[in-house]
Amino acid sequence: MEKIILFLTVLCCALTSCTKEKTDYEAEIDTIVPERSGFKEVTQFQSGAYTIRIDALGGNLYKGYNKVHVKISGQGQAPVSAATLLPIRNGGTAQAHSCPHSYQLTYNAGQGYFEGYMVFTEASDPLSQWDLHIGYTADQPYRVVQQVPVQEQDNKNLGMTSFTDRDGAQYILALIAPQKPKVAENELVAGLYRFDTPTAGATAPFPDPAQFSYSEVQGYTILLDPRMPEPSMGNHSSPNNKDLLHGADNLYHGVVNYTMTGNWTLNLILHNQQGDLVRGTVVPDDFTPGVVGVKSELHIDILF
Amino acid sequence: MRRIALVIPVLIASYGLRAQDRTLQSDTTTVLQEVKVKAKAKKKIKTDLKLAVSVDEFLASSQSISFIKRGAYAWEPMLNNMSSERSAVTIDGMHIFGACTDKMDPVTSYVETNNLSTVDIKSGQEGSLHGSTIAGSIDLQRENTAFGLDKKVGGNYQTGFEFNNKQFFNLAALSYSGQKFAADGSISFRQAENYYDGNNKEVKHSQFNKFNSSVGLSFKTGERSALRVDAIYDKAKDVGFPALPMDLWLSRALITSASYKQLFEDGIIQLWDTKIYYNAIEHYMDDTTRPENLVHMDMPGWSTTYGLLSKIALQRDSYRSEIQLNAYDNLSIAEMRMYPQDRSNRTMFAYSWPWVTTRFASLSNTNSWDLSDRSHVVLGGSLGVNYNYSKYAEFNWIFHPGAPQEKTRILPGLHASYHIDIAPFTLSAGAGYGHRAPSISEAYGYYIYNSFDRYDYIGNPNLGNEVSYETNASVGYQTGRMGIQAKVNYFYIQDYIVGKILNMGSPMNYQSVGVKGYTALDHANIFNLALSAHYDILTHLHWKGSLTYARATDGSGGNLPFIRPISYQTGLQYMYKRLGIQTSLQGDAAQRDYSPEYGEDKTAAYQIWNASADYTLPARKVNMTLQVGAENILNAYYSTYADWGNIPRMGRNIFTSLKINF
Repeated sequence: MEKIILFLTVLCCALTSCTKEKTDYEAEIDTIVPERSGFKEVTQFQSGAYTIRIDALGGNLYKGYNKVHVKISGQGQAPVSAATLLPIRNGGTAQAHSCPHSYQLTYNAGQGYFEGYMVFTEASDPLSQWDLHIGYTADQPYRVVQQVPVQEQDNKNLGMTSFTDRDGAQYILALIAPQKPKVAENELVAGLYRFDTPTAGATAPFPDPAQFSYSEVQGYTILLDPRMPEPSMGNHSSPNNKDLLHGADNLYHGVVNYTMTGNWTLNLILHNQQGDLVRGTVVPDDFTPGVVGVKSELHIDILF
Repeated sequence: MRRIALVIPVLIASYGLRAQDRTLQSDTTTVLQEVKVKAKAKKKIKTDLKLAVSVDEFLASSQSISFIKRGAYAWEPMLNNMSSERSAVTIDGMHIFGACTDKMDPVTSYVETNNLSTVDIKSGQEGSLHGSTIAGSIDLQRENTAFGLDKKVGGNYQTGFEFNNKQFFNLAALSYSGQKFAADGSISFRQAENYYDGNNKEVKHSQFNKFNSSVGLSFKTGERSALRVDAIYDKAKDVGFPALPMDLWLSRALITSASYKQLFEDGIIQLWDTKIYYNAIEHYMDDTTRPENLVHMDMPGWSTTYGLLSKIALQRDSYRSEIQLNAYDNLSIAEMRMYPQDRSNRTMFAYSWPWVTTRFASLSNTNSWDLSDRSHVVLGGSLGVNYNYSKYAEFNWIFHPGAPQEKTRILPGLHASYHIDIAPFTLSAGAGYGHRAPSISEAYGYYIYNSFDRYDYIGNPNLGNEVSYETNASVGYQTGRMGIQAKVNYFYIQDYIVGKILNMGSPMNYQSVGVKGYTALDHANIFNLALSAHYDILTHLHWKGSLTYARATDGSGGNLPFIRPISYQTGLQYMYKRLGIQTSLQGDAAQRDYSPEYGEDKTAAYQIWNASADYTLPARKVNMTLQVGAENILNAYYSTYADWGNIPRMGRNIFTSLKINF
């Protein structure tokens, strides 16, 4: 009987050794997708008697779509009734230019701040920076300029792309959601913007908003074909995806299914209101193991 | 796996506790030996041809079982020509679920012949005692030494070598029978290299290594009660699956149980046996030995089951009854991680079983009345509740948006049969009705690659129950020298679950050609016929023969896959004093009714010839038998209808074995 006990003890030791751990699925995606929860302060500065504070998700501005909260307050000062936001990129070799943004900010009375967004097309670098031109109206109109750092996008699921159509109009397409995709059905949200080419020269002192205007493109359709470009995945795709349609919030909403984690490409085809092709190419749908997936000329890469 | 580590000390502790009060009770040892719920002919674990067999080889000798073979190891048993999810495979009534999505580890691969006493195969709803089933049940019954036998210590040892695949095996078992304490223990090792087919060509990746050990301890706790703890530990390492694109690196199973049995002297209740059990299985596939694979993948799987089984046997006069409560909770997890060709890139991960919990409880009852000395009626039924929960249901929603994350089903079953014995004829007829819930793969599987038809399979959580209506009959004729028996059964199965090509999605596994989703056919028909006969030509010369035929179609007349073509076996056995000589011829006819839709091609007929001779050495007390034989003597090159990917079977195999019983 001692032998039996000994045997069981040995067995017990044998069983505790050498086994593979299960994957921690919740943590699996965290390793590669940075979590940005809550609006935090990006910058705060004085403008006369007023203090202006800009908040963004995670406290940083990134290349791509950024939603911002602008709080303008002054002790004993007249309340601010309206505010505008205009990002301008300065320096470098390029001419001063802007990026898609909401010029007229909307006031959120409940929270006491103005809301808007900016879709930065480049990150800041030592030679060129982004300046935010903020205008606000209290007892009188005020203007202020503040430089803000814009970082490279480290979330590979919030990519953006810019392109031109046949008539030379400039478009920007930026992903807004999902910030943290899952192996699941994901609500896909994107913003589509077009540069309003100025018809006349500047009529106001720099920066003249009419020279830097972008509009939210309405009523277009973005056809979606997500695929895994990795050669070993052989152009793998997923079922039950829904093309992106223009919604009441002026954003584009669709559904993307990711069948596993890893590199994906959202192959897109943009059609205008008339159903005419604006940009994008059809990608092959055959299964081609060992071959890098062909991407549409309009695409955004994903990694989670 | 930490849980495994916990259970063992508990078992040891319970052993220690029980060992102390061994001196309390006086001897009533005979009582426990007489437990017979219903007399069952116990079949020794050997075949006509071979004395030392594997569990698979032993099961293959049953007419109602056929096998899907993916290599030389871990064959998937098909009962009544139905795949394993349609039958209830248990070990002593305990439910165990393989941890491999590709069915590389059927329950039968986690036991070894030297810890089994018998295998109880029941066809159709008759098998519903252990849980809901369609095809029937296979219960692997463990060795269980009674208290107070005259022979206190017994044991056996088997060793042997098979030349074709250089399989070397050593199996040993020991038993102890005391007045208050009984124990069984076994240990076994098998090691085999690649086998060679009938063209003397090596079938690569067909090696295997298996270690199995078991221990069972019984303690008498009262005059009519006993406590028993059991454990099986099985480990297979470096097992090749030539028909699959990957092999097995390691699979381990720990199967434990503790049971308490109480016998009653008077009254209608004869016995009450309650068991709690726990088993954990881990299964890790390996494709690093397949450099031809484009994509490196890890596919680990885990399956953990807790269960309870409680059985009461009743008897009064001509009435016998068994009431059984089954309950279990299983968690099955399977992962796949694909590695990009540039390993610095992100790996790709998904669950092929997204943490699926199955909870099942059933109450079943079988009653038997002797109407007269010659006839009896059996009536039985079961009612089960099956609950499934998919933790990461978002995987399932990709193909089935909005499917429920949890699902509860009611699984009823009923069966009745009438048996009559009019010498020299025995006749029986029966009918049954039963439901089964879809398996984990069928309901929640996600991109499970099937290398047979080369499709990725997607489970469907919305699937309904599969419902079976069956009838069966048998007729036997027996005289002193000869016997002949015919058995038929017919299943009409509503909502028969199969995989159908989906016109959405695209393959994930690089070998795959498309995606199939599990769906329910309106119905399927399965018919099985088995004939067997034996004749004693001389006192020492016996002939045995058998023939099986099966036909299965889907609702629209198409063939179902993996249905055995006409098969036959004929064998002669000669025994003289200590010498035994056996020879047999077996084969399948050409597969006429194959199913291209499910990836089958026509398999040609084959026939193989086997022979063996054994000699029992004259020795006192110790019974020592030597055997030499050969399978496939003519070195036929063949593969059967159920050989995955048409891998060839083993060519000529000379085997030797030595068996010592003491």
